[in-house]
Amino acid sequence: MRRAAFIVALLGAAVPAAAQEDNDLSRIPGAIDSAPAAEAPQAAAHGKYFLEDALGLLSYRGSFAVPYPYAVPSRWANRTSFDMLDTWKLASNLSAVFSDRLSATFADGVEFPSDVVRNDPREAYLTWEPLPQTYLEAGRINVRNGVAFGYNPTDFFRARTTVSQSSADPGALRENRLGTVMVRAQRIFDGGTVEFVYAPKLHTPARVGAVADPLDPKFDQTNAADRFMAAYSFELEEFSPQILVYHESGRTKIGFNASHPVSNSIIAYLSWTGGEAPSEIADAIAFGKRTGTLPPSIPVLPPTSSSHAFRNDVSAGAYWTGEDKETVSLEYNYHQTGFSKRDWKNWFAIGADPAAANEMWFIRGYASDQQDPISQHQMFARVDWSEPFQIEHLDVNGFVMTSIEDGSCLGQFAVGYDLSDNWSVGAYFGGSTGGARSEWGSLRDAASATVQVTRYL
Amino acid sequence: MKNLLIGLGLAALVFGGNAWGQGMAAQDILAGMDKVRNPGQPFRLTNTLTEYIKGEARNRVVLVVFARENKQTHQFDNVVRYVDPTRDAGKMVLMNGSNMWFYDPSSKASNRISPQQRLMGQASDGDIVTANLSKDYTARLVAEEKLLDADRQNRDCWHLDLKAANEEAVYSRIEFWIEKGTFRPVKGKYYSDSGRLLKIAYYHKFTEQLGGLRPSETIIIDAVDQNLVTTMANSDMRAQAIPDSWFQRDFLPRVKID
Repeated sequence: MRRAAFIVALLGAAVPAAAQEDNDLSRIPGAIDSAPAAEAPQAAAHGKYFLEDALGLLSYRGSFAVPYPYAVPSRWANRTSFDMLDTWKLASNLSAVFSDRLSATFADGVEFPSDVVRNDPREAYLTWEPLPQTYLEAGRINVRNGVAFGYNPTDFFRARTTVSQSSADPGALRENRLGTVMVRAQRIFDGGTVEFVYAPKLHTPARVGAVADPLDPKFDQTNAADRFMAAYSFELEEFSPQILVYHESGRTKIGFNASHPVSNSIIAYLSWTGGEAPSEIADAIAFGKRTGTLPPSIPVLPPTSSSHAFRNDVSAGAYWTGEDKETVSLEYNYHQTGFSKRDWKNWFAIGADPAAANEMWFIRGYASDQQDPISQHQMFARVDWSEPFQIEHLDVNGFVMTSIEDGSCLGQFAVGYDLSDNWSVGAYFGGSTGGARSEWGSLRDAASATVQVTRYL
Repeated sequence: MKNLLIGLGLAALVFGGNAWGQGMAAQDILAGMDKVRNPGQPFRLTNTLTEYIKGEARNRVVLVVFARENKQTHQFDNVVRYVDPTRDAGKMVLMNGSNMWFYDPSSKASNRISPQQRLMGQASDGDIVTANLSKDYTARLVAEEKLLDADRQNRDCWHLDLKAANEEAVYSRIEFWIEKGTFRPVKGKYYSDSGRLLKIAYYHKFTEQLGGLRPSETIIIDAVDQNLVTTMANSDMRAQAIPDSWFQRDFLPRVKID
């Protein structure tokens, strides 16, 4: 009898376990039970259209190791943008893409409409698929290659493509930029892709800092030289390598990208490019002379070798994702043509003379326009936290770019919240730190705060 | 002594390791459930995720999922395209074993996703829809239990405990309740590497889809965020030939859903 009771007890022990499982049902909201049968939604592709307004306040430094040759800009700005990205199917194997941002920016001292209205036609191109997985494209296309986040050396079509926006995050700069007019052929096969790009010269290059007419397509920024690129990507032991060859104005570069999951939560990546090139200083001065910004007789200062040599650019990093939807990225950037410690010393010493300051700031403006780092060595760190503290639809992120030469930093903290499917709000707080004789501390921009509202249409 | 052996035998049937349920091994039960959940052919479906926050319907995400069983791994490779809301339209996720990528049409950039990131995003819920669990997990029959399903109906279930059998397994552990006889999934509990309970899934609303009665709605209770419950409704499931070339990074910008 005792044994029988033991058996019954063993069998009975299963019941409480299952009953405990049934407690999970109490977490299912009644709204789900009473929800009408879901209608099959229309799953057709549609475009992305939105209105955005951003109001920013800026603060500036008052004294400089290298004096600024330009007037102090407005301490506030308000930008309103209409933004769109859409695709139209013209035939079974032919489609069209158009992407554009039309902005009106108001601030102290801006002239209407030349300084206020700005249209950025990011993309406008046709795609023809003559054979399965074979694509021919023509028009303005945003082609981006590279796996890095802070600095992408193989992103060969990045120069002079910036579009007005709120965030200073390098990731955001890549998301929102002008494409390049080109012809592109791509063939995707099992296990790999080959791609060829030809981007023709359509215009002489615009000066650095030139303000384009409101409706100018800015070909003088994106298509000021003949360029060719070939790329081959393939799968190899989950490294997804990509090999690139790029040619522009008599210079050829070779590039390489790879990324790999090194653990369940860590992805490591490497991006490299190398080729014959002058120093950033020599390149900038030559460009300034060519576009008439700098007089032809101006000496190359700070002193640098004007010869071309094989120079490397490297970005190597990794990102880790935790169980609470947080991602931390750390990346090292090497830009061999950038400023060395000696170049920085010379830049501050020469630039202290107001007569030379214009040339010194031109070099930095050129590097910024090219989206190149100005220093040879820098670190980039970024943290993303999706739904922190279990606050749904909230995202916070921040990045810091640090000069290894002098420890100065540029950073931004951003917070975004999706109020609904159609409304989002965000805020960006940026700033730079460092002494007056440091990379980031020598800049005029000290801090900024921007609030942004987006209405998706 | 004989009765004690019978007792231990019965106990083993209820709690036991690789015990047999109605003459079936736990692994076979799991394989039977895989057949109920997954069509035996490449397919696409529309997946509507509705988020309930503190009991209120808050957001809706519409995805189109292309799925095909990988001939080598026998696991499902997925390409997922966001259709709604507008802010996410056109974003793509590729899940090809541990080769996973996210593509954003705004930046034209594809970024590799770690297995951990796969667990975190909305697309991870796709794993709950399409996964050949019997290929990546070793099943142990824990018990035969009566369990209330999502519609509060009593179901006689096999309770299985699944442990990851290879590195391709997305979750390190899953508990599953499968209805005896029909092999229909009733409930699943999904755990992270650290043993943390991430999701509880209830499968219901079985309808005829691609030649079988399959769950058309899954209720996913977020075990980390106590305020969040998500329903995932499948519709428009249809067979579609999907070539190998789709399941690589560079094809993501080329996926069409017309």
